[in-house]
Amino acid sequence: MKLIFGYIKSCWLLFSLALLFLSMEALCDILQPTVLSYIIDFGIKNGEMDKIIRYGSWMFYISVFGALNAVSRNYLSTIVSYKIGYRIREDMFRKILGFSFENMDGFDGATLMTRITSDITIVQHFINGLMRVFLKAPLLGIGSIVMVARLNRGLLWIYAVLIPVIVIIISVNMAVGYPLFSRVQQALDRLNKLTREFLNGIRVIKAFNSFRYEKERFDKANSYLAAKTATSMKIMAIFPSMLTFSINMAIVFVLYKSAFQIETGSIGIGTTIAFINYIIQFLFACMIIARVFTMFVRAKASSVRISEVLNTFNRMKESIHPVNRIIKGEIEFSGVSFSYGSGENVLNRISFRVNAGETLGIIGATGSGKTSIINLITRFYDPDEGKILIDGIPVHEYSFESLRKNIGLVAQKNKLFTGTIEENLRWGKENADICELDKASEDACIYDYIRNSPEGYKTLIGRGGVNLSGGQKQRLAIARALLRNPAVLILDDSTSAVDIFTENRIRSALKNRKNRMTTVLITQRVHSLIDADKILVIDNCYAAGLGNHKSLLKSCTVYREIFESQTGERG
Amino acid sequence: MSDFGKKLQPGNRGNDHGFGRMAKRFSNREKPRNIKETLSKLWNYYREEKKILIFLSVVIVLHVISTLFSPFLIGRVIDAVDMKKGMTSQVLRPLLFLLFCYISATVMIWLEGYLIAVPSQRIVKKIRMHLFDRVSRLPVRFFDTRSHGDLMSRFSNDIDNISTTITQTTTELISGFLTVSGSFVMMTVLSPLLTLGTLSVAPVVFLLTRFISRKTRSYYRDQQTALGSLNGLVEETVDGLSLLKAFGQEENLLGQFTTVNSKLYIAGRNAQFFTGLLMPMMNVLNNLSFAVIGLLGGFMVFSGYITVGVIASFINYSRQFVRPLNEIASTWNTLQSAVAGAERVFEIMNETEEIPSVKNRNIPDNAEGRVEFKNVSFSYIPGIPVLKDVSFHVEPGKKIALVGETGSGKTTVVNLLSRFYDDYNGDILLDGVLLQDYNRQSLGNSFGIVLQDSYLFTDTVFNNIAYGKPGASSDDVIEAAELSNAHSFISHLENGYETILTDGGTNLSQGEKQLITIARAVIAKPLILILDEATSSVDTRTEKKIQDAMLKLMSGRTSFIIAHRLSTIKDSDEIYVLENGEIAEKGNHEELMALKHKYYNMVRQQYEKFDIV
Repeated sequence: MKLIFGYIKSCWLLFSLALLFLSMEALCDILQPTVLSYIIDFGIKNGEMDKIIRYGSWMFYISVFGALNAVSRNYLSTIVSYKIGYRIREDMFRKILGFSFENMDGFDGATLMTRITSDITIVQHFINGLMRVFLKAPLLGIGSIVMVARLNRGLLWIYAVLIPVIVIIISVNMAVGYPLFSRVQQALDRLNKLTREFLNGIRVIKAFNSFRYEKERFDKANSYLAAKTATSMKIMAIFPSMLTFSINMAIVFVLYKSAFQIETGSIGIGTTIAFINYIIQFLFACMIIARVFTMFVRAKASSVRISEVLNTFNRMKESIHPVNRIIKGEIEFSGVSFSYGSGENVLNRISFRVNAGETLGIIGATGSGKTSIINLITRFYDPDEGKILIDGIPVHEYSFESLRKNIGLVAQKNKLFTGTIEENLRWGKENADICELDKASEDACIYDYIRNSPEGYKTLIGRGGVNLSGGQKQRLAIARALLRNPAVLILDDSTSAVDIFTENRIRSALKNRKNRMTTVLITQRVHSLIDADKILVIDNCYAAGLGNHKSLLKSCTVYREIFESQTGERG
Repeated sequence: MSDFGKKLQPGNRGNDHGFGRMAKRFSNREKPRNIKETLSKLWNYYREEKKILIFLSVVIVLHVISTLFSPFLIGRVIDAVDMKKGMTSQVLRPLLFLLFCYISATVMIWLEGYLIAVPSQRIVKKIRMHLFDRVSRLPVRFFDTRSHGDLMSRFSNDIDNISTTITQTTTELISGFLTVSGSFVMMTVLSPLLTLGTLSVAPVVFLLTRFISRKTRSYYRDQQTALGSLNGLVEETVDGLSLLKAFGQEENLLGQFTTVNSKLYIAGRNAQFFTGLLMPMMNVLNNLSFAVIGLLGGFMVFSGYITVGVIASFINYSRQFVRPLNEIASTWNTLQSAVAGAERVFEIMNETEEIPSVKNRNIPDNAEGRVEFKNVSFSYIPGIPVLKDVSFHVEPGKKIALVGETGSGKTTVVNLLSRFYDDYNGDILLDGVLLQDYNRQSLGNSFGIVLQDSYLFTDTVFNNIAYGKPGASSDDVIEAAELSNAHSFISHLENGYETILTDGGTNLSQGEKQLITIARAVIAKPLILILDEATSSVDTRTEKKIQDAMLKLMSGRTSFIIAHRLSTIKDSDEIYVLENGEIAEKGNHEELMALKHKYYNMVRQQYEKFDIV
């Protein structure tokens, strides 16, 4: 909630203005029944036509005045709430863009999505509501009490009974409703999750023909949801009728009492009618307040979820005096240990050195920590122990920009973004000319594909690259990295979906490029590593060997085993 | 004035539920296309709840009647009181009637909420189940062309939409309609002239609502479109954050975001402004009709046409008259979007199902696993053939390696064999019988498939493996895990076989996931084994162990393997080299090497440096 008020403060002038208009609007509503009672008690009763006309036109003016206030208030409240929504969204997106990987691991993608859309929308609605009905309701409620007190104090005690009754009904409603509601929500989430899984796994389900099992699961969750919803609806059905009942009883009572009081002349007939209207107005106010509570709880939960993102502390800071320089590409690890969060180490005391222009191959079992080495070179994470030097300077001293500008990353899971091929490639280098684009895509063996597409570089890539094959995506990702002509090229198992011919073509193209890049190559295929200057063998988070192909075959058992298993030959 | 309580119900998953839903709903915010047909389909579901719904209608009618009489009775009481007769029977009788009306309204409101609960949820449950059932029977081709998000949104948002409509809109619309017409009748009976005066605001209400809804509709559509692209942008950003940072694209993305965010702001602001006008305007009109009643009514009492009690009644009637109008106006939109949602749901139900097997044969226990392709041609997108006139014949128990460049058609061969697609030309035979003649169940059980994307379910490791064989014992599961070398890493997991895999197995590495999918295929003990690049991202040491296990598993089974590794390829009985959707070469390793053509070149390129060719 602090979050919400912080943002409101930034628009406080418009916000207070909106509240002012809102109060005027409420005042107009409150005045109406009283003026009406004047018409009846002073005009009709005494048979004075001019009073009827006078008060009648009062009513008319009040209505129009209320309308003007309502329109201005609506205009302001809309602007303020949507402006705030806009700002929170932007702040949150900025925050996410600045997230370190450690931060990212703390949120899963889907939550961030809902936070930036639904949660902000809920807050936005709440703020809008604040300036609309929420504050108007108490004004109406209090106003109606004041007006009744003015009209006839004798009837005021009805409120004294009515208010506690209504408060009790509403609080019981809340107390009973929330657990029910959240249980329904949980059941719904479960069903949705099941459905998502069903759709994602449809091929597997078809392959195993396990529809009966899936159907049973779905049926169970579906029936559970239906039963829970029905039960809570049944239980909740009692509250609206109770609320209406208590208000209606108050009306009956007022009528009953006025019958005596009118007889004694202590109350006018118009007052009675006005009173009934005030009670109804009061009911409206109560209803709205009840809804405000619902909205408030929801908005509070949302604002907490938003704050969680906005207040995430990013430990990964650029150094205060960042080094900006052109990197030659010498990489050195000395005694590097690393773990994700508090888990076990995924890297233990890894040391190696690659000279500028050399190729380092990294091979090892799945989960042995190969990709973590890359996450450290690119400084997506900082190591727990040891030093990582590029050109003799620790990575954390570089500015993010100069570090990443000099590294071309082709990740294991390559993401392409919605847009044209060209837009995706230009990530590598914004102002690349067509020759550079051609060269990069030629080297990555994707040139022919691009040329043969009717739209060429302007071919649209669907979300996540759905319209491309795995191999094409990988090759585009390689072209994108090559386009920036990096000092360090990182290939993380990035030709796994490319066939052998193409992979060989790519490799020789890389070798023939003018400037020699330092290449870090993670792969599962021994044959890809054979030319590497150095090969680092990782086994169970430790370095099991470091050397070239020939020397490792002799000295490193793990490497020999891998080699033999792949080629089926004795080395 | 007696049913203000409705909005309190927790079942109200109405508009303030947030954009998440609306975001996905934007595409169905449009007007439904074929209202009649959709409504008649919905009606079929309603009809099954006939008894309760008839009872409910009676309750609604009673509710409306008691609501209608109360203002009238208030007027009567006031008139009686006005004559200063004290607490006579003239006051008491209408007062007692009023009390009775209120009590009956209270009971009816409760009954309405109570009665609708079960049938409405039953209807929704049925629709959901039918949709699920239908989707299960749709061909894979259908899923190729639809985004999961869209399907997902039909399952959740659209059905949710229908659900809300059934529970609330239905009763609201009916009672609203009855209240409006009833109020009109009562008012006319009391005083036609004053009715005319009061209703003079009605056309204004009508015009205003129409103006606003027309204005807002296009703004809402803009808003949903903007929200959709904002969603997409955030999704991509979150998904690709590492790359985005690696390429320093933060500013670029922020720029894109600001553009979309501004669009969203403007559209949202405009939409909200006009929508926000509706309520206060209604309120103002209500006040105006008050003024009219006061002025005109006052004059009429003065001239002796009516009594004061009539004014009291009219004030209440005018409230009752305007409010349901307002409600009908707003529910009309909900109703429209619900019908649009229903239409989207039924649209799926109308999709052509997989062709059911006509002959419905079972695969006999002593099936051999002989596979034959006869002149098979296939294309995913019409006009772009992926397989061209492919024919081959595989003897039972043989191991076939499919090799070739990406896009040469390897995966398609196994896709057709698994009967993911039915619409190919030519014949595929299993043990001499057309694939289509087998029943799907039996066919599915006889194929063991390890797909490129290892897909795991949110469930325990145990259940994920047992998935291949319903009712598998723990011995079966452990045996399968051991055979596929998954046992050791599973035992190292915190809860062993009872470890619950999170979304698609994100807590496992790619290789570990594949080991589990392999175990899943192993446990099924299938007649025919299909391995689609299954081992490509398992590291080679593990792969060696898998290969051993696979060799055991493959013995006696017809197997198709899409693999890159020479050792796997060499071990197979026959190698099909695919090129542009055709089989370019066929034979075992030695034969193809001797041919010194495509296969030879491929192997040399890959392995010449090892001097082992």
